[in-house]
Amino acid sequence: MNIYKSIFFILLSFSYIFATEERRQESKLINSSLEELMQVESEMQAKLGSRGEERSPLEATSPIDVITYQQIERTGLNSLTDVLRYFVAGFNAPETSVADGSDHVRAYTLRGMSPDQILILINGKRMHTSALLHVNGVIGRGSTQVDLESITLTAIEKIEILRDGAAAQYGSDAISGVINIILKGADQSNRVSVHTGERREGDGRELHADAFISIPLKYDGFVNIALDVKSQEATQRAGIDQRLSPPSIETHVGIPDSTSYKTLINTEIPLESDITLYGKLILSQRKSQASAFYRPVNQYSSALYSNGFLPMIDAQIFDSSFTIGANGTWSDETSWELSHTYGHNGFDYSVYDSMNYTLGEKSPNSFNNGSLHFTQNITNFDIKKKLNSIKLAAGAEYKIEKYQVKAGDEESYIGTGSQGFSGFRPENEVHKDRNNYALYFDAIYNVNEDFKVEAATRYEDYSDFGFTTNAKLSMSYKLTSELLLRSSANSGYRAPSLAQSSFSHISTFVNTSGVLTTQGTFRPEHELSQSLGAKELQPERSKNITLGSVYRPTSNLSITLDYFYVEVDDRILLSSELSATNPQQQVLLDKYGVSAARFFKNAADTQTQGVDLKINYLYTIDKLSKINFALWYNKNQTKVTECTSPSNQTLGCSEQISRVEDGQPKSSLKLLTTYQTQKMNITLNINYYGEYSQMMNEISYDFDSAWTSDIDISYHIDKDLSISVGANNLFDTLPNKWDGLSGNFYGYDGIKPYARYSPFGYSGAYYYLKASMKF
Amino acid sequence: MLIVSKQIKVILVCLLFEYTVLLNASEPPEKLKALIVGKVAKYVHWKKCDNKYFIITMLNEPFPQLFKNLYTNQKIKKRPVKINNITSINQLQATDILYIPKVNILQLPEILESVDNKNILTVSDIRGFAQKGGMIQLSFVSQKIKLKVNTDVAREHNLHITPTLLRIADRVKGNNK
Repeated sequence: MNIYKSIFFILLSFSYIFATEERRQESKLINSSLEELMQVESEMQAKLGSRGEERSPLEATSPIDVITYQQIERTGLNSLTDVLRYFVAGFNAPETSVADGSDHVRAYTLRGMSPDQILILINGKRMHTSALLHVNGVIGRGSTQVDLESITLTAIEKIEILRDGAAAQYGSDAISGVINIILKGADQSNRVSVHTGERREGDGRELHADAFISIPLKYDGFVNIALDVKSQEATQRAGIDQRLSPPSIETHVGIPDSTSYKTLINTEIPLESDITLYGKLILSQRKSQASAFYRPVNQYSSALYSNGFLPMIDAQIFDSSFTIGANGTWSDETSWELSHTYGHNGFDYSVYDSMNYTLGEKSPNSFNNGSLHFTQNITNFDIKKKLNSIKLAAGAEYKIEKYQVKAGDEESYIGTGSQGFSGFRPENEVHKDRNNYALYFDAIYNVNEDFKVEAATRYEDYSDFGFTTNAKLSMSYKLTSELLLRSSANSGYRAPSLAQSSFSHISTFVNTSGVLTTQGTFRPEHELSQSLGAKELQPERSKNITLGSVYRPTSNLSITLDYFYVEVDDRILLSSELSATNPQQQVLLDKYGVSAARFFKNAADTQTQGVDLKINYLYTIDKLSKINFALWYNKNQTKVTECTSPSNQTLGCSEQISRVEDGQPKSSLKLLTTYQTQKMNITLNINYYGEYSQMMNEISYDFDSAWTSDIDISYHIDKDLSISVGANNLFDTLPNKWDGLSGNFYGYDGIKPYARYSPFGYSGAYYYLKASMKF
Repeated sequence: MLIVSKQIKVILVCLLFEYTVLLNASEPPEKLKALIVGKVAKYVHWKKCDNKYFIITMLNEPFPQLFKNLYTNQKIKKRPVKINNITSINQLQATDILYIPKVNILQLPEILESVDNKNILTVSDIRGFAQKGGMIQLSFVSQKIKLKVNTDVAREHNLHITPTLLRIADRVKGNNK
C-alpha cells in the first residue's frame, strides 16, 4: 500500500469517527441539564461584512476572525495594538524608536500591506485616523492610521477582523482588511483590574488600572462606563555612542515613557416602541516622551550645553469621538438606522532639553513646536429589508474631514529650529477640508441552504479628486456538510489622506560631517515638489481576490485555508530626500533654503499575495475543564511591480521598494493553547516571526526569523476575584543586531543596534502580575 | 520506505491523540435557544395539562427544521412533543409554549394581548421581552445564554415557575405590557 492510499484510508476512517462523534455529541447535548446548557458557549458570531446580520465566521463568504474579551483577559495585555499582534498572524506592529512622532503612535499593518490600508470600525462606525503622519523610516512611512491606543480594552466585547477588501461596502481604506471593535452591551458584569510588571532588564515598568461599570436601563438598555489609566516607564536598549569620549550610552532607544487616561461611555436606550437610541463617547489623553539622537557638544551648542545634550520630544495626544444614533423597524422585514459620528485627534509637539543653534546662548531649552489636528464628521442612513431568501441593504453617507497644522513658537522654527524636532513654521500651517458623499447597496441571496451569493456596490464622490465606484461579489458553497468553499472578488480604493496632500515640515540637523543641513517635506502641489516630479495625488486603486475553504468535520474542529491576492495601483509613497539634478531645481531648493526635498506621490504599483491557514479545536475534559488549541499561519509576499522614480532619481525608489517588499516578515505563526478549569486558566502562545530586511545607504541588511513565547496563569480565588501572573516574550528573545553594518547611529556597534522594523520590538521579556475583580 | 512508514505512524499517533482531545464545542446560538426552550419547560408548571402532546408553537418558524430535528421522539412533561408552526398569531391553537421570534417585534403587544388569560408560556429573544409583558427572555452575554423570567406575568397566566429556575435566571418583576 503506498503512502497516498494510507493517507486516504486514515482520512476516511477519521471522517467516519468524526461523524459518529458528532452524533454522540448531539445526543449528549439533548440530554444535558438546563444548568449545563447555560454553560455551553455559543458559536462565535460576527456582523462584519454583512450590514449588521450576525453569522458564524465559519459560514461567511469571506474570511473573518473573532477575538473575544474573555480571550484578551487571558493575555495580560493592556494595549489594543499588542492584543492584535498577539492573536493575529500577519498583523505586524513594530516598536520603533528615535523616529519623532512615530515613537508615540505605533504603526501597524495587516498581511504585509500599509497601515492606511486597514479600515477600523467601532460598533460598525468608521473611526477617525490619527493626525500623525509617519514621515521617518518606519514601517508604514508616509501613512496615517487610527490610533488604537485611544480605546480601553475593558470596554470591548469582541474584535472582528475581515481579511478581505471591502471598500465596496465601507468605502476608503478597506483594502487589506477591516477591523470592527464591538463594545460591551447589556448585562455585563462590573469589574476592576490592576496590573503591574516590568522588563527582565529591570526597566519598562507598567502600572495599569481599569474599571468597567454597567448601569442597566429599562428594556435591556444600558449605560456602560469604562475608565483606564496607565503609566509606562521607558525601556533603554541603546548601544554605546562612539562619538563621545569616553564612549557612553546617552540616546534613549526603546519604548517611550508615557502616561495615558482613557474613558469610554457606551449606551443604548430602547424605547417602549421598537426604536433604540444609542450613543458612545471616547476620550483619551496620552503624554509620551522619547528622545532624538544625542547631540555631542559642537560649536553651536557649547554656549548652552558644555557636554552635549539629549533633545526630548514630548507628544500630547488627545483623541475624542462620539456617535449618536437611532435604529428601529418599519415593518417585520424592514429596519432602519440613522447615525452621526464625530472624531478628532490632536497631536501636540513640544521639545525640551534642547536648543535652537541659531539663537545660541539666548536659546530657550524647551519649545512649543506646534500641533497636528484631524477631524471627521460622518452621517449615515441605512435601510435593510428581507425579501424571502434575499436580504437587501442600502444606505447613504456624508463625510466631512478637516486637517490642520498649527505653527509652533517662533523660537522652535526660526533659523535651525529646535534640535530633535523643528517646530512647524507659519508656512507649514494648513487648514484643509474636504467632503464626500456615498451611496451603497448590498444584497445577500441564499440560493439554497448550501449556496450563498453576496454582492455590494458603492458610489462615492469626493470634493477633491472626484468620484469612484467599487463593487464586490462573494459566494460560498457547502460542498458537503463538513466542507464549505468560499470566494470573493472586489475592487477598492484609498483616498489620499488630507495629511498626505497637505503636510509640510522643515528640519535642520548637523550631518555626519558636522555641517548644518536643512531638508524639507513639501506638499505635492508646491512648486519645488512639482519641479522634482510631483503631481496632484490620486486615490490608490485596488483589486482583491480571495479563495478559501472551511473544513469542519465536527463542531469542535475547524480548519480554514484562504488564499488572497491584492493588487494596488498608484500606491502613495513619500519619496526619499531628493536633491537637484538640474539648475532650475537647484534655484528652487535655494529659494526655500533646503538642500533636499521630499513629497508624496502615486509612485508604485504593488501585488500582495499569500495564504492564511487556521486550525482550531476544543477538548472538554470534564464539565469544568477544557483545552483549546488554535494555530494560525500567515504567509504573504508583496512585490512592487512598478515604481515611478521622482525626477528620474534612482534614489527615490530603492529604499521604498525594500521597505514595502522586505521590511515586514513574510511569514508568521501563532500557536495559542488555553487550558481552563473552574479554578485556573493557563494560556500559552508561541509566536513565529519570519525574516525581514532593512535598507541602509542602499544596502539591504537581513534580520533573522525568531520564536517568542507568552504565558499567562490565572487563578480564580472565587468566582469574582482572580489573580494572574505571566510573561510576554517569556524567554527574553531579542532580534539579532545589524549584521555587517558598523556605524555611529545604525549598526551592531552603533546607538541603534537593532532594526526598527523588528516585529516584536527589542525590549525583551516582560513579567507581570494582575488582579481583577467582578462586582 | 521505512522513513515513510515511520512518518505515517507519527501522523496516526498525532491524529489519534487529537481525536482523544476532540470533544464538546461551541454550538450555534439558534440551536442553544431551541434546546433551552425544552429545558425551561421542566421548571414550569401549567395549570392545564390535559393535552396528549406537549405542544410548542413557533411563530414564523425562526429556526427552520431545528426544533423538529431536536424534539422528534422527545418527551417533555412525559408527553411527546409536537411542534406547530404558524405564520400569524390568529392561527394560534391550544399550545403549552409560544415562541415569538425577533422579527415579530412590531406585533408584540398584539401577540401578548392574544394570549392574555391563557395558560401559555411565552418565550422570546426579543430585547426587553420580559419587561414588555413576556415571560421567558433568552439572550446571549459573553457567548453564554442568559434567562430573564417575569414571574408576575407567569403568575397572571396561571403558570408556576419553580425556585430552581429562578436561581439560575434573572428575575424581572411587573407587567409593563
